Amino acid sequence: MWKLKGENISKSFGGVTALKEVNFGIKEGEIVGLIGPNGAGKTTLFNVVAGVYRPDKGSIYLDDENVTNLNSHQLCRKGIARTFQIPRPFPELTCLENIMVSIIGREEKIHNSNEKLKEAKKFLKFVDLDNYGNILAKNLNLIQKKRLEVARALATNPKIMLLDEVFAGLNNTEIRDAVKLIERMKNEFEITQFWIEHVMGVIMEIAERIIVLDNGEKISEGKPIEVARDPKVIEAYLGDTDV
Amino acid sequence: MKKSNKNLLLVIFLGIVVCLPFLLDDYWLHVAILTLFYVIMASSWNLLAGYTGQVSFAHAAFAAIGAYISGILSVQMSISPLITLLFGSVIAAIFGLGLGLLCLKMGGIYLSLTTLGFSEIVHIIIKNEYEITRGTMGLEVPNLLGFYSKTAYFYIMLLVTFIIIFFLAKLIKSDHGLKFKSVLNDELAASSIGIDTVKVRVIAFTISSAIAGFAGGLYGHYLLLITPEMSSLSQMFMILAMTIIGGMGTLSGPIAGAVFLQVLSEYIRIFGKFHLLLFGVISLLVIKFAPGGIVGLYRKITQSKTDPLKIETQSKYDY
Amino acid sequence: MSSLFVNIFNGIVIGTIYALSALGISLILGAMNVMNFAHGEFYIFGAYFSYFFSRSLGFSPLIAILLSLGLIFWIGFLVEKTLIHSTYGNLMDSLIITFILSIVLQNIALIIFGPYPKKPPSWIIGSINVLDLFYYSSQRLITFIVAVLLLILFFIVMNKTWFGKIVRAISADREVASLMGINCDKVNSFSFGFGVALAGVAGAIISPIFGVTPMGGVGIGLTSVVVVVLGGMGSFKGCVIGGLLLGIIENIGVAYISSGYRNIFGFIILILILLFRPSGLFGTTIK
Ligand SMILES: Nc1ncnc2c1ncn2[C@@H]1O[C@H](COP(=O)(O)OP(=O)(O)OP(=O)(O)O)[C@@H](O)[C@H]1O
Ligand SMILES: [Mg+2]
Repeated sequence: MWKLKGENISKSFGGVTALKEVNFGIKEGEIVGLIGPNGAGKTTLFNVVAGVYRPDKGSIYLDDENVTNLNSHQLCRKGIARTFQIPRPFPELTCLENIMVSIIGREEKIHNSNEKLKEAKKFLKFVDLDNYGNILAKNLNLIQKKRLEVARALATNPKIMLLDEVFAGLNNTEIRDAVKLIERMKNEFEITQFWIEHVMGVIMEIAERIIVLDNGEKISEGKPIEVARDPKVIEAYLGDTDV
Repeated sequence: MKKSNKNLLLVIFLGIVVCLPFLLDDYWLHVAILTLFYVIMASSWNLLAGYTGQVSFAHAAFAAIGAYISGILSVQMSISPLITLLFGSVIAAIFGLGLGLLCLKMGGIYLSLTTLGFSEIVHIIIKNEYEITRGTMGLEVPNLLGFYSKTAYFYIMLLVTFIIIFFLAKLIKSDHGLKFKSVLNDELAASSIGIDTVKVRVIAFTISSAIAGFAGGLYGHYLLLITPEMSSLSQMFMILAMTIIGGMGTLSGPIAGAVFLQVLSEYIRIFGKFHLLLFGVISLLVIKFAPGGIVGLYRKITQSKTDPLKIETQSKYDY
Repeated sequence: MSSLFVNIFNGIVIGTIYALSALGISLILGAMNVMNFAHGEFYIFGAYFSYFFSRSLGFSPLIAILLSLGLIFWIGFLVEKTLIHSTYGNLMDSLIITFILSIVLQNIALIIFGPYPKKPPSWIIGSINVLDLFYYSSQRLITFIVAVLLLILFFIVMNKTWFGKIVRAISADREVASLMGINCDKVNSFSFGFGVALAGVAGAIISPIFGVTPMGGVGIGLTSVVVVVLGGMGSFKGCVIGGLLLGIIENIGVAYISSGYRNIFGFIILILILLFRPSGLFGTTIK
């Protein structure tokens, strides 16, 4: 019944335990938030799910298939797309080329180049970057880079999207725009979303369920209101100076 | 620069190149042939370093493999060099594929150190296996055509150079080229959107090895005497220096670099033993102060004259 | 039988030299994430300088080695400041630059010292009877003792001094180290100087036995890299064991196969490691 499921995932770097026996599950079509203070292990969990790191222990299942040992590109072809906390578009490629790489990466057999270009433009338009097609990605500002990255991830035709702090560094109007984007992603592309946010802001309004990590351990899980009231969560966030 | 202008320049340049045998004396025609060899070598090394971000130090060694395989086969089995040439290229490609598969899953640094080792080993084997390779004496190999004509050889080299440059240009513009560039730009991001980065790098490495093997064979059947010097690190350095001085990551860079260094070599012949030192210092200066090389400088000059905003949209890579 | 002992012992002697040189590469790789392909050239310059100070200026061998060591350190320091520093974080640039540097240094050596081998004076003459098994050259024995002392000194520096602790912290995790307020940039120049000085001193102490040529650095540079991979990138202990192992294998191989193929054993080992144990004996692979 889970679209994506992680069982007892542990990961450490040298002496630092970044994840300790973490369990989670996401249902098809759900928007799930992953929150936790600085260094809680959120990004590490994404990296493990997306195949950047192998977990020391535990397994990951996609549609009940064990995908723990697959590489990033294999997971992407199976339908897991992700964005990065610090956006990483290809700096020396144009915005259009950035998205073309995703479309090429699908390795579909029949596909003429005009169609590919049209499709790439469609994704650029989706994130309101249609006027920037021929601009090198390194010349974009932070928000545009984040949007380009979302478009690039979408262009892989994912079933699940992992979004790492899309709202960080955005002001209120920009956050509103981003929220609209997220909602359209759900409605137009029917993508299941797993979402990292550092602060308990907007995510509480959109996510259907929240998972809270602290020091590599899952300390709470549930509906946004329940989680916000959980004393363990409040305590974890008290120690965090950024909030 | 406007497209039509650029095309006109290109046509004039090609016209001059095609007429070279009528403009140059015998010696300079020889230099021109060598230059074409280096154009192929630098361009194919550039496919690797400039477009996928992997530094191989075995490019000269692959050329030597091509030359020796083709040479030995044609001498010992009396097969026509036109056929053995292909064998040389295939063997180089196989070595490239093997080395690529061996190292590339572990990241670029392993490719560099393994190819450096490989290059030394090829050098040592050629020197030591005297009975097969004639060691430092050099191996005499037959002429490609069966008759000796510098002019004919020049046109053959030129044709091959055209074909290879054309092929590289097509490749870089193709979907494969875009994959190469994505890997060069950001490996992690590329793999996150479904690009098999190891496969992409192995493919690029194999293609470039095959080209080096072919070019080496052609070169050998022109020189008629091939020596272990072909696989030396000095040769490797020349290829690398040409690419860097010309402009890495552009199609025209290695061509410009090869021509520049070959012609410069001729003019500073009297300083024979300072050659490599001088080229080394020039390349270090280029990396430090003009990382785009000759092509980068040229673009900077022409662009700032025409339209400053254009820099924003110009892709660094040639199309 | 005694010839086997001699070969093994020769292997151990040269192995300590490999270990010293490889520790330099490992240190630079760990502290700066730079693979120094010009390492062998610092090794030959260590030898050339000690030759120059002892033969041409008449210093005693010990003083000549110390002067050469200091000089190599400063050259390394300056090279880092001028050439390597700007490539920081860009692996490809550092590979290319150190390769070009190796060609430049080889040719400088060729121009200054000529193509023929140069040999600093021996420190001691004669040979010693080792446990009644074989006679062994005193120079080799004393070189071995000095090399072992230097290896011990290296581990003391890395474990006990402030510099060593900082370098180890950076090697373990660059980001964390910089968060702890370590100025990585400043440490870089020192690490590079220190790393190449290890190659330099290795070259200086072994050159009375083997002499030195302008191209002599290529083999030792490659061997040192192989030792680092064999021992496991990031492991100092691995460098020592890898160095000794490779020294012994090479010497036995050379004795029974052919001296022309000395460097081939290192390469074969490299291929085997890549095939079967990419993380080396004690280390991890680096990305
Ligand atoms: N590649 C790595 N090497 C070593 N340590 C790492 C690595 N990646 C993460 N860590 C460590 O793992 C812990 C968890 O880091 P992670 O980036 O997952 O936290 P996070 O929850 O995403 O925090 P933030 O809100 O700051 O993004 C931290 O202590 C971090 O230093
Ligand atoms: Mg994070």
